[in-house]
Amino acid sequence: MDRRDFLVGASLAMLGAAAKTNLWAQTPADVRLEIAPLKLEIAPKKEIHTVAYNGRVPGPLIRWPEGKPITIDVVNRTDVPETVHWHGLWIPSEEDGAIEEGSPMITPGGQRRYSFTPRPAGFRWYHTHTSAGHDLKRAMYTGQFGCFYIEPKQSPGAYDQEIFLTLHDWNAYMGGAGDASMDAFYDYATINDRMLGHADPIKVREGQRVLFRVLNASATAMHWLALAGHDLTVVAMDGNEVPQPAKVQAVRLAPAERIDLLVEMNRPGVWVLGETRAEIRKAGMGIVVEYANQQGAAKWIDPPETLWDYTLFAKTEPSTTKPDQRIPLVFESKFHGHGDFDYWMINGKSFPKTETIPLKEGDRYRLAMQNKSSDDHPIHLHRHTFEVTNLDGKPLSGLRKDVVVVKAKSTAEIDFVAANPGATLFHCHQQTHMDFGFMMLLRYV
Amino acid sequence: MTRYRALFILVVLAFANLRLAKAQDNYEIQVYGSDTVAPQTTMLELHSNFTVEGSYPAPGSLFTAEGVYPTNHAEHETVEITEGLSNWSEVGFYIFTSARSGDGWQWVGDHIRPRVRAPDSWHWPVGVSLSMEFGYQRALFSQDTWTMELRPIIDKTIGRWYFTVNPALERSFHGPSVSQGVGFSPSAKFSYDFNKYISGGLEYYAAYGSITDVSSLHNQQQQFFPTIDLNVSPNWEINFGVGVGATAGTDHLIVKGILGRRFDWTHHRAGSSASTQ
Repeated sequence: MDRRDFLVGASLAMLGAAAKTNLWAQTPADVRLEIAPLKLEIAPKKEIHTVAYNGRVPGPLIRWPEGKPITIDVVNRTDVPETVHWHGLWIPSEEDGAIEEGSPMITPGGQRRYSFTPRPAGFRWYHTHTSAGHDLKRAMYTGQFGCFYIEPKQSPGAYDQEIFLTLHDWNAYMGGAGDASMDAFYDYATINDRMLGHADPIKVREGQRVLFRVLNASATAMHWLALAGHDLTVVAMDGNEVPQPAKVQAVRLAPAERIDLLVEMNRPGVWVLGETRAEIRKAGMGIVVEYANQQGAAKWIDPPETLWDYTLFAKTEPSTTKPDQRIPLVFESKFHGHGDFDYWMINGKSFPKTETIPLKEGDRYRLAMQNKSSDDHPIHLHRHTFEVTNLDGKPLSGLRKDVVVVKAKSTAEIDFVAANPGATLFHCHQQTHMDFGFMMLLRYV
Repeated sequence: MTRYRALFILVVLAFANLRLAKAQDNYEIQVYGSDTVAPQTTMLELHSNFTVEGSYPAPGSLFTAEGVYPTNHAEHETVEITEGLSNWSEVGFYIFTSARSGDGWQWVGDHIRPRVRAPDSWHWPVGVSLSMEFGYQRALFSQDTWTMELRPIIDKTIGRWYFTVNPALERSFHGPSVSQGVGFSPSAKFSYDFNKYISGGLEYYAAYGSITDVSSLHNQQQQFFPTIDLNVSPNWEINFGVGVGATAGTDHLIVKGILGRRFDWTHHRAGSSASTQ
């Protein structure tokens, strides 16, 4: 039984529950999302047939004050069951949008109202949480994603302009073979909905401080981003302020990761903000940043080679809070032929056969992860924020995230407090990994 | 005795005709996959083939009846250097050599082989590429010295299974086979992944003679190689096989090995999480 089989079975079992939760209230919701097919023009004569929210990519930015209840109506105009996951929010399991946790699916032609109180403050996002399997035109390969910004009660707002950017890859196909297992490759890439050179430029003025909030909404691809000729100050990761803001020339974002970058506009010109790798910029991942009164072709300058290191933005001393329980987790792949994706195991088992970890409310847990595979894994814990406490034997503290990359052949430890009762999903955010077994449930007892 | 000698010479001459029809020399014994070497990458391969039982010298001569070195107990070492030009093209160079007891180690010839493939963006259900190989071999090793090969390649990987077919066409521009026109020399392979690192398969090589005058089965070249591929690393290619000639016109027993090393001149291939470049 793979994840798709599990979802089909679970969908049927939950139809009754869905009927109950499909309370289509008389009063209009605060936000309405319509999931429907879309023909998206990413450049002249380049159209992507996809599925998106409200006929646009990314979906509408939801900007909402922290702690204020919200209702969101979602209508499914596709012919497959759908669900929307509110990524990074501390909300109940049944509203979280993951069927594995008990959220009902939205049937084809059906609708559902999500009701919750958004928290914590910061840059969150929403996206489909379905399985694609071998069909690389579904789930996160589509345009079903959008930014969700929860406004803090007290926002310092030390910037002049705020810009949301989403990275996405399009037209996935299975490739590779040779000596490696199959992987997803892509024809095109965009920032927001357009390829490099085909979107309106971002207009800035010299002396401005611009805050870029960047989301990697790719189904599987890791991306590197730089703004030619400018330093990027990392001020937040996954919507949480970092303890040590630091300047870098390029940033790395795994699927589902977000980063807040403060940029001082001190080099007038017309520049490319884009992927550091030329072939991916050529595939479209970039956008032009244009200073006032500057003209001409956008320029690209390769940043110096940058090694990505989370610890640059964290405290180097170990976390002083000891966990109540340490849970060892070993990630391994299971070969299914050079013509197929690998299957994945946590502690020797693939979802839905993975063990369920019991949690006691109020306790602090340490997930001690060992990645024995040769792939990197952007690990995501639903409905909780965790603190990264160790990377490859190097202790750190203060870095709070909801996605962390556990590099190939490395170890990582994360701590979280069980403070949000309900079933909680833990998985790799690579679509090809989560669909083939890389998931596990944690359940409050 | 003279009658027997005359008969022997007749047999040798008949064999010589077969040799003319032979397309697949035992310098590079490989069924191609459709993939090309990535840009900014060099693939260096060493093809080592030892003919356990092959052709013999004519009586009283160093050479076979066709006037070329015999293949029996010959060690053929071929260096292949392939450079990726783009995501859909490459060019390969070959240096053929031969070593045999008493004959020393000799340079045989060189070939050049540009190749293009259907880009991934075409999303074809099978991998397709086309290679064109052109080059020279010394007359002491091949009666046809200047030859060209056009090799379409179609392959497919399904789960643990891999299939590839190379229906190659050959043409000689200098030598006795010029008059035969275009020859048909197909090859094919299937393999099965026993695990991530070891695949076992069967390779087939044939030379059917001219496309306008197909040789009889007896005169065709038919070789079968049970093979093992070791996938120990993306940077290494290791193939080993033992070939059995199924017809009189084929070297009867050949042991072959391919050792390849990929050199990626980018610091980190696209997709690496370690670094920007």
